[in-house]
Amino acid sequence: MTADLIRFFTTNWIGQAIVIVAQCLAVTIPLLVAVAYMTYVDRKVWASIQLRRGPNVVGPFGLLQPMADGLKLVLKETIVPSSANGVLFIIAPMIAFMTALVAWAVVPFDDGWVIADINVGILYLFAISSLGVYGIIIAGWASNSKYAFLGALRSAAQMVSYEVSIGFVLITVLLCVGSLNLSKVVLAQSGWFFNWFWLPLLPMFVIFFVSALAETNRTPFDLPMSEAELVAGFHTEYSAMTFGLFFLGEYANMILLSALGAVLFLGGWMSPIPYAPFTWVPGIVWFAFKIAFLLFIFSWTKGTLPRYRYDQLMRLGWKVFLPVSLGWVVLTAAVLQFGGWVPKL
Amino acid sequence: MPKIKIDGVEMEVPAGITILQACELAGLEIPRFCYHERLSIAGNCRMCLVEVKPGPPKPQASCALPVADKQEIFTTTPMVQKARKGVMEFLLINHPLDCPICDQGGECDLQDQAMGYGFDRSRFHENKRAVPDKELGPLVKTSMNRCIHCTRCIRFATEVAGTEELGATGRGESMEVTTYVEHALTSELSGNLVDLCPVGALTSKPYAFEARSWELAKTESVDVLDALGSNIRIDTRGAQVMRVLPRLNDDVNEEWISDKTRHAIDGLRYQRLDRPYVRKGGKLVEATWDQAFTAIVDRLGKLEGSKIAAIAGDQCDAESMLALKDLMTALGSPNIDCRQDGAKLEGGPRGSYIFNAGIRGIDQADAILLIGTNPRWEAPVLNARIRKRYLHGGCPIAGIGLVDDLSYPVERLGMGPATLRELVDGKLGFFEKLKAAKNPLIILGMGALARSDGAAVLALARDLADKLGAVREDWNGFAVLHTAAARVGGLDLGLVPGEGGRDVEGILAGCERGEIGAVYLLAADEIDTKRLGKAFVIYQGHHGDAGANRADVVLPGAAYTEKPGTYVNTEGRVQLARRAAYPPGDAREDWAILRALSERLGKTLPYDTLDQVRDRLIHINKSFAAIDQQQAGGWGTFGAMGPIGDAMFASPIGNFYMTCAISRSSRTMAECIASREEFAKRSLERARRMG
Amino acid sequence: MASLDRTARSFLLSELVTGFALTLKYMFKPKVTVNYPYEKGPLSPRFRGEHALRRYPNGEERCIACKLCEAICPAQAITIEAEPRDDGSRRTTRYDIDMTKCIYCGFCQEACPVDAIVEGPNFEFSTETREELMYNKDKLLANGDRWEPMLAANLHADAPYR
Repeated sequence: MTADLIRFFTTNWIGQAIVIVAQCLAVTIPLLVAVAYMTYVDRKVWASIQLRRGPNVVGPFGLLQPMADGLKLVLKETIVPSSANGVLFIIAPMIAFMTALVAWAVVPFDDGWVIADINVGILYLFAISSLGVYGIIIAGWASNSKYAFLGALRSAAQMVSYEVSIGFVLITVLLCVGSLNLSKVVLAQSGWFFNWFWLPLLPMFVIFFVSALAETNRTPFDLPMSEAELVAGFHTEYSAMTFGLFFLGEYANMILLSALGAVLFLGGWMSPIPYAPFTWVPGIVWFAFKIAFLLFIFSWTKGTLPRYRYDQLMRLGWKVFLPVSLGWVVLTAAVLQFGGWVPKL
Repeated sequence: MPKIKIDGVEMEVPAGITILQACELAGLEIPRFCYHERLSIAGNCRMCLVEVKPGPPKPQASCALPVADKQEIFTTTPMVQKARKGVMEFLLINHPLDCPICDQGGECDLQDQAMGYGFDRSRFHENKRAVPDKELGPLVKTSMNRCIHCTRCIRFATEVAGTEELGATGRGESMEVTTYVEHALTSELSGNLVDLCPVGALTSKPYAFEARSWELAKTESVDVLDALGSNIRIDTRGAQVMRVLPRLNDDVNEEWISDKTRHAIDGLRYQRLDRPYVRKGGKLVEATWDQAFTAIVDRLGKLEGSKIAAIAGDQCDAESMLALKDLMTALGSPNIDCRQDGAKLEGGPRGSYIFNAGIRGIDQADAILLIGTNPRWEAPVLNARIRKRYLHGGCPIAGIGLVDDLSYPVERLGMGPATLRELVDGKLGFFEKLKAAKNPLIILGMGALARSDGAAVLALARDLADKLGAVREDWNGFAVLHTAAARVGGLDLGLVPGEGGRDVEGILAGCERGEIGAVYLLAADEIDTKRLGKAFVIYQGHHGDAGANRADVVLPGAAYTEKPGTYVNTEGRVQLARRAAYPPGDAREDWAILRALSERLGKTLPYDTLDQVRDRLIHINKSFAAIDQQQAGGWGTFGAMGPIGDAMFASPIGNFYMTCAISRSSRTMAECIASREEFAKRSLERARRMG
Repeated sequence: MASLDRTARSFLLSELVTGFALTLKYMFKPKVTVNYPYEKGPLSPRFRGEHALRRYPNGEERCIACKLCEAICPAQAITIEAEPRDDGSRRTTRYDIDMTKCIYCGFCQEACPVDAIVEGPNFEFSTETREELMYNKDKLLANGDRWEPMLAANLHADAPYR
């Protein structure tokens, strides 16, 4: 009986489809819940930095606030501006949202807990996160609004600029691991928490995190939707659930980049101290904990730093991060080569 | 010309004026309460104190001190300031702090001057005095606690109005302004007391608590309730006319207006025509403009011109009368008339129907003959002007016809045209007085002209003027006093029957006999509507009065406050009335209605804008180009020698307070009449009691 | 030396670290906001909230239709119509305040010679429709009756400073 079931789920294509759908749901649903509560945490963190209380009226401690907000977004009317390109206008948020979800296919939650354990995981992630910018550009163009258009342009330029340095950061990590498979990246960091790549590659970790802020349009790089000059940037004309999809996508992207950061620099699902009782804790808990830590830094940054000027942002990307990361790649390669630490595959 | 120094500035001023007037010439405003340019000098408020050298070392009342050569006058020295502040404090001792509930608030002399000279708190801790309010009739509300005893009201009633009904009793703190016997004021000018009162002791009763001066939109216009064309300011709030105030014009009304002018405006709120009506099955039914026009076109289209007639009313603006005349001409009708009362003024030069001497000319006249007129009712402000001339002395005044108490003595020569003929023939003693006068003035009223022998009376009066030498280069003493504001304008535009046309009497007779098929009444209510017979009657006007009652189609027009219009007063002065409010509902400007109707009748009038209408006015009569000026009328032969009747001259105005559709709709005017009747009844009782 | 110091600081992100440390410290400080619907801040006697028309203790309305509030109102939110009442006194027949126009400057109560129109302590009068914010005389008098004890106390408390 059990064997039949196993056979059904492993060989029959219907069974396999059911498994894949189940796996997707198992990732997506917690992810969306996490997104919802990420907004709550964001608001609570900013509030406490500003000595305020944050949401505290809906539900106990305001815990139902994200639900209320979501319900509001669902119930409101979707307004399509009369001069907008209707089809692209609707498609744009879908693209933004989907690319944010699709990337999760290769993220290892624990040893072997990955939907698609492909050998080019990092490359896949890199490609998908670059696709995300299409949603934004299409939104800005389809809105047929000056604000949205300018916001989209800024967003595209910004993403392109910082993807370059992220690319070099990834190369550095790859040099140290010798594989593009994310699970292998994690396994390469086994041991104490100071064995993780964050310490030996500390400048790269910083560059990675800052670039992640820029990639997700978060403060201090939220110029695409800087309300003081562009109203709300590329999603100025969006309302209700079309806006909601952008919002979800953005937060999902944030979580994704935090997860990537955890995988690349913080040892993925590994316990910081490789001894009992820490090793008893399931790896996914450690992984979640590391993601949460990075997300907290996201919020903390937003509560601390003011917005960059656009030329400053470009200067930082091209004149600081690019040379520094390039130099570090060369340095790392040299150290590995001449130190004899080139990973054996 | 004495040379004086005011505040260190040397200047030369005319001899005989007061220091206050000299200061005004110098551009300085001296605060005052009792002093008024048109009243005698009382010098009792002491607010106008100035320092004068040489003189006693104390401030002097500038209103009562004539200027003298080499005087030095100081208006801003500490002594003057202190004196004025002292006076103000004394005035305020017994003046209640009523400003928030006082209708004078916002336009009060005491309030304004207290801002300059008042103290911000009182040092007077005793009780303020209390004075019982007086009953002055339905127009003037009193609040005697506020009185500061400037006596302007007493002087106005005595000097200008000529009704010695107000006076002061007691002295010092117990002085009170009061009527000698408790009764309403009997003057037709009593409303001016409210304007004169520098505080809120006398306020307007119909306007009580209705609005504040600062909420009102002010429009400068002219009055049409009598033929004088008094200059007025119409104060409106939103769409409603709240009050009418006089405007200063020494050539016309100085600064007075009659009670009817001032208070009949509440008639503009009642009985208004605000949408077209069409008679269906004997009843007037509400209609649209289109339906009303269709009804008119259906009837007028079938009639030939000679069967159509038009009568213009007494308050029509020149623009609408012009449009009416043009429309009638286009329809081929010679039957048009603007003289509802049948006055025999026709065909003569302009000098034959205007008040040639001008209202200002009354001041220069040195003998006045009133023929068939009661100026006190027909034009109270003009009557006050005659009284002013009388008070000046050296001006004998006589009257032919029923002459009431005109507020000055009038020698009664006789009652009818026969007396006039005797006078012309030099058989009466007054002829010599007129002959001796340098500037004799003959005022001919409608009572003498609106009768079947009117043309003969007109010719007699003309003869008289010629015999007296009253018509010269520098003086024209032949003066026609009209009762209708539209009359001179209508005559200027030639709204009289054309070749073979009928006048009002002819039109009415024609209607009775069925010779006239349709009559267009342009706000004409003063005709006998019963005589309109079976004619199709179109009434265009603003009030549901006699004309609208009889009409088959009613077109709602605008009253004089609701349209820009041109009016010509009795002296031939062209004046512009301006729109203060919009007509109610669907009502429209009158000339525009006629213009729209002409289009439907296929006889489109050649003007689309008011400017074009006014251009055409000037085209027809050059005098319309001279706004606010009196154009000299020509002289020639007019009138018609003929038999004269023996009926008495009677004033056409039987009741001063109700002479037109507006005043007939006014509740205030009705109250005035009731008050007059009550007064007459009580006087009669009192006379009976005293035997 | 100074440039070296500056470069070192810049590369070690010391300014960023200082800033982050500061905000982290603030995160654990007590909150300054009032937990509004459950707790409320103190109100000055001069607080300018919802309008009310007061009455004298004998029940007579104070307003005498002087229209000073209407004249001073910078937002032109007040509309008054007046006429003599049956007993001859000056009273309003209409006293409307458009609360959506009102800017709560308090000029009306400053202008009022009889302390009739006042801005009371109530600030919780939101409504679901605009129409409900067009206050008429009845509503204002009802407000006056409802808040009179506090209105009188506030006026009394502020009187020495006027």
